[in-house]
Amino acid sequence: MANYLAQFQTIKSSCDQHRRRRASHRHETTRVGFSQDLDEFKTILKPRLKLIVQNDEREWFIVFVSKAHPSNDQASKMAKRVYARLESDFNTKKRERCCKFDLHGPDAEFWDDFDSKMVDCIRNTLDRRVQFYEEEIRRLSEQRFTPIWNFCNFFILKESLAFMFEMTNLHEDSLREYDELELCYSESVNSPGKHREFGGLDTGDDQAALLNRGFKALTQIVQDDVFREFEFRQYIFACQAKLLFKLHRPIEVAARGYAFVVSFSKTLALQENGLPFCFREVWVITACMDLIKATTSHYDGTAVAIDSEREFCRIQGDLYSLCRIKFLRLAYLIGYGVEIEKSPVNSASLSMLPWPKPATWPSIPPDSSAETMAKEKASSFQHYFLTFNLLVMLHMILQAKSREKIFNIHRKPLPLEPSLLLREANRRRAFLSVGNISELYDSGDGSGLDANSKPSPNKSASNYMARTMSGPATSETSLPVDRPMRLSEIHVAAEHALKQTVSDPNFMTSLSSLEEFEKRYMELTKGAADNYHRSWWKRHGVVLDGEIAALFFKHENYDLAAKSYEKVCALYSAEGWEELLADVLPDLAECQKILNDEAGYLTSCVKLLSLESGLFSSKERQAFQSEVVRLAHSEMKHPVPLDVSSLITFAGNPAPPLELCDGDPGTLSVAVWSAFPDDITLESLSLRLSASSSADEGLKAIKSSDARVLVPGRNIITFDIPPQKPGSYVLGALTGQIGKLSFRSHGFSQDGPVDTDEFMSFEKPTRPVLKVRKPRALVDITPAVSSALLMNELQWIGLIVKPIDYSLKDGILHIDAGAGLKIEESQMIEIETYGSDVEHVGGTDASKTSSSSTDTRKVEKVPIEDGKIKIPDWASDVTTLVWFPVRAIDDTIARGASPASPQKQSIVDGMRMIALKLEFGVFLNQVFERTIAVHFTNPFHVSTRVVDKCYDGTLLLQVILHSEVKATLHVKDIWLDLQSGFEHTGKGDGRPTSNLFPLVIAPSSRAGILFVIRLSALGDMDELEKADSMLNIKYGISGDRTTGAHSPVPVKPDDSEELVFKIAVKMKRPVLDPCVAVGFLPFSSDCLRVGQLVNMRWRVERLKNPEDASLLADEILYQVDANPQNWMVAGRKCGHVSLSNEQGSRIEITVTCVPLVSGYVHPPQLGLPHVGEANISCNPAGPHLVCVLPPTLSTSYCIPA
Amino acid sequence: MIVCVAVVGHQNNPLYLQSFTEADDALKLHHVVHCSLDVIDERVNNPKRNAPALNETFLGLLYPTENYKVYGYLTNTKVKFIMVTTDLDVKDADARNFFRKFHAAYVDAVSNPFHVPGKKIASRSFGARVSTIVKSFGSGTTA
Repeated sequence: MANYLAQFQTIKSSCDQHRRRRASHRHETTRVGFSQDLDEFKTILKPRLKLIVQNDEREWFIVFVSKAHPSNDQASKMAKRVYARLESDFNTKKRERCCKFDLHGPDAEFWDDFDSKMVDCIRNTLDRRVQFYEEEIRRLSEQRFTPIWNFCNFFILKESLAFMFEMTNLHEDSLREYDELELCYSESVNSPGKHREFGGLDTGDDQAALLNRGFKALTQIVQDDVFREFEFRQYIFACQAKLLFKLHRPIEVAARGYAFVVSFSKTLALQENGLPFCFREVWVITACMDLIKATTSHYDGTAVAIDSEREFCRIQGDLYSLCRIKFLRLAYLIGYGVEIEKSPVNSASLSMLPWPKPATWPSIPPDSSAETMAKEKASSFQHYFLTFNLLVMLHMILQAKSREKIFNIHRKPLPLEPSLLLREANRRRAFLSVGNISELYDSGDGSGLDANSKPSPNKSASNYMARTMSGPATSETSLPVDRPMRLSEIHVAAEHALKQTVSDPNFMTSLSSLEEFEKRYMELTKGAADNYHRSWWKRHGVVLDGEIAALFFKHENYDLAAKSYEKVCALYSAEGWEELLADVLPDLAECQKILNDEAGYLTSCVKLLSLESGLFSSKERQAFQSEVVRLAHSEMKHPVPLDVSSLITFAGNPAPPLELCDGDPGTLSVAVWSAFPDDITLESLSLRLSASSSADEGLKAIKSSDARVLVPGRNIITFDIPPQKPGSYVLGALTGQIGKLSFRSHGFSQDGPVDTDEFMSFEKPTRPVLKVRKPRALVDITPAVSSALLMNELQWIGLIVKPIDYSLKDGILHIDAGAGLKIEESQMIEIETYGSDVEHVGGTDASKTSSSSTDTRKVEKVPIEDGKIKIPDWASDVTTLVWFPVRAIDDTIARGASPASPQKQSIVDGMRMIALKLEFGVFLNQVFERTIAVHFTNPFHVSTRVVDKCYDGTLLLQVILHSEVKATLHVKDIWLDLQSGFEHTGKGDGRPTSNLFPLVIAPSSRAGILFVIRLSALGDMDELEKADSMLNIKYGISGDRTTGAHSPVPVKPDDSEELVFKIAVKMKRPVLDPCVAVGFLPFSSDCLRVGQLVNMRWRVERLKNPEDASLLADEILYQVDANPQNWMVAGRKCGHVSLSNEQGSRIEITVTCVPLVSGYVHPPQLGLPHVGEANISCNPAGPHLVCVLPPTLSTSYCIPA
Repeated sequence: MIVCVAVVGHQNNPLYLQSFTEADDALKLHHVVHCSLDVIDERVNNPKRNAPALNETFLGLLYPTENYKVYGYLTNTKVKFIMVTTDLDVKDADARNFFRKFHAAYVDAVSNPFHVPGKKIASRSFGARVSTIVKSFGSGTTA
């Protein structure tokens, strides 16, 4: 061992004095001879050199120094020769060992050469040494588990090797050696058998030396072979840290350092009863601070990856945090416990951290009564030497008065002690009996009695009371041996003991006064928080922000406190940690209240209210509410909108959505849950609906008429919805007013109150609450009659009123008869269920089943006033037939048709229009309008013709009656009033024989009647033209009003059912009297072509001499009438031709025409304007249409090539 | 001794938290569980640092503090199980075993048709089952 030690010390000392390179230079190049002569070299120098280099242990090389001047050729040659000889003698293949230096020549090359030779030497030396050491180490390692093994030898070898590596800048290798050394040491320490002293009892040991490897003289450690764990492990770590810093790895130093501190702290805990009081805490604090300081100063964050930086910050945060906890523990022990916030973070750290375990708890030093008194005053602790009864009372008071916050929130403070300090300290005083008085007050729930006594910022009366009850401290100076220490005495004793432990006078400064303590506390907390913020561990940072806030709060720096508290609350709130939020939110509220931040304060109150109800008592919750209400009704400078989404939630009915038709208003009922603990009065409450199709909330808020007070829990609020655009709507937002405070809630809940942990689901509900249908037909009104009704008679018109899934309740039907139609208002309107709907009524509407089963076909008579009918209730949902009587008025006299005057009856004549308007819906907001056409007609269409003209001048006049209606007509009598110029033959009045009647005419059938008349003397021809014969038909009708014409509505009860229909029949004289015949002669060619001239030829023949003198002229006027688009007439279109007056004279008229278009066209017509139509007979008649072919194709241009 | 077990939802919201201390100091355990989410977040967000543990639900020791240990477990649905113990000498296998049972109990609890996913677990039988698992922790019967 001495051998190693000697070497070790040699290396150490030599290195301490010189740089290694210089040292090796000195050792290896001492012998240098000068020779410029070859003979001299051979005989003297060479043997000497050989002798020197024979020693293999040494590294050597030869520098040949040539003094020859370049001008001296002789000398130079000689020197060269000697050098060549030298090279050949001493160089080997592997290695050149010679170099030459010219004193007078250029030296640049030489120094490079020299340098490389030197490096070779050093490397070789090192290699050899390393090899040697490694072999030694291997040898020793093999002996590890033999009794002869000695750690000290091993250490020396390892350390030397590491040191050599370090010297040659091989830091990694050096570090490896130290790591191995550490491992080996831990194994040897932990191995049973050899017991080493732990150490740590020297002065200054309390200050961590884990970065100061020169702290204890190494030789001391080694020489005594003590290797105390306390010193040695710190030494090893210091060496490692130094190397890591050299390797620019401060992050690793921090990481290793933290782990080292934690593990070393554990080791210290094991040795605690042999160490000074609180030695462990002090050591950890100083170690952490050293590490922070050293790593921060070595840390250059610029060239580090973001992840590494975060990691570094996290470790720094951990170090600060650890330091902070130990510091708090020390502070607690010496009586600053009341100043420590009993927050979850402090409680978690301190209450699970065991008390120091010294062999005996420090006793109170003599002459410390003044300090004790001061402590007692400062911390307002109660001492517990009261009578038992008083103590119990006091305890109860303190329990009740635990922690007072805003809103009178009472919480049991969290413990900061792992067990009662009072008991722990007294128990550890060996001489004390176990059952001391403090045992009586162990509450058993882990909370310390002293924890109760934190004075609240607004010192309350009961706190004063408590203090008054505690009485003055006893002024005893010496304690009886068996008396348990009071808490204040424990503090004083701890402080004294700590002062003994701590060697650094500056250390105690931070515990010397409250200000210093707080300063240090702030520094550590801030350090931890800031570093955590820069790392991944945001939560840690934010939580510590809360601790900073508490200190700010204490110092009435409410602004900063509020900011930090806000961060904490935001974190807890965002992740739904309500228990933690409930702990810190009242503090924030208090800050905001003090700062007069009404908006923030209100929000906090609302948030407090919306927390799980179990977290606060109902009294506390009522206090929150009363604050909200108080603020809402007070004069706020800047009224703020308040989001109460978590407090007031709402949902539509679980039933299907309310469906409205376009244009209808409605009533929507919404369930609103109030989480307020008491009834809350609202000034107003509105609901916004948003269309689910479009994103905008472009709808007006719908106000609720009721709901002035929301009771806790479920409220059903009804909203009157004005008509909305078609679409489906979802609940948008609930807005309202509490006092002057307008609030808004987006808190949707599905079927019940929103659970407070549903913090993430403020999504829009997708289920619509309201559907407004697109406009559609809600009702249909169609006429019930399919065929014509009787003109001029009172007829029923039926309207089928069919509601389409929509109630017509209270509907009003306006009937506006158009021109030529009159509604008989004296008559009642009949409403009856429509045939096809009868079953429907019974089937679907259960409530009406009983009534409808007895009388399924309901008929009701209702009056009509000003054309309005009110729809009866029973008819609101069923299809009904509405019958109302109208009379179509036609003043003109119907005319019969005859071959002479073929009357075309226009269907339009019988049309009458009825404008209908149905107003219905809840507010008669729905309107249905329709104009229907009803066809009226006469019962008969009459046509007449003269069937035969007898030789005696008797005419047989056939009258044909066509039934125009879909009803059976019973003709009871017919008579013909003839116009002048005609008379009935015989004496009859023209009535057919009575046994013909009643003549029944079925619908759409005809009946004919022959009248025998004759011409009578004619007075005036004009009279004949003007007068009409009149046919009178007395008839009855039997028809169904649902089909069409029917028996007229009796206006008076005794109205007979016989009807009289009069129709004028025009009779003309003469009937036919042709004088001239015009015949169309066939075309000469087979076909007509466009553009081809064609001759149109007509033959005009006089049939008889006209009676009319004007026709007696021997020439007649003709006129060719042709469509100019189809025909071009070549020649005269009209002219006179002479025609003899003699019967049978004839003439031919030829007109040349050119067809212009192809196809079937009307040919030109020949007219004789001066001859009446009745006197012209067309025989043979001209063709109606002629065929004109297209023009023949011209080939003139199509000459073949 | 296990002092606290917790189930934390995938949005880091507490779903279940039960402390097993006699004192009325559950709040500090809330804090411990909440802060340990930082560690889980860090591990989940930096998977490369724990490459082999990619498919591993058991997160192991989260906090190497002096006085208590926090173990974590992350399910496929990003639900976290956290256990705080004051035993300073816990075998990984025991912790794994514990979480496996805890996970099974959780799965049964949330499979209840009356349980609303994402809401706190209020089932009393779950609580009882967890208590049993906690009591049997480390007693050797868990193996």
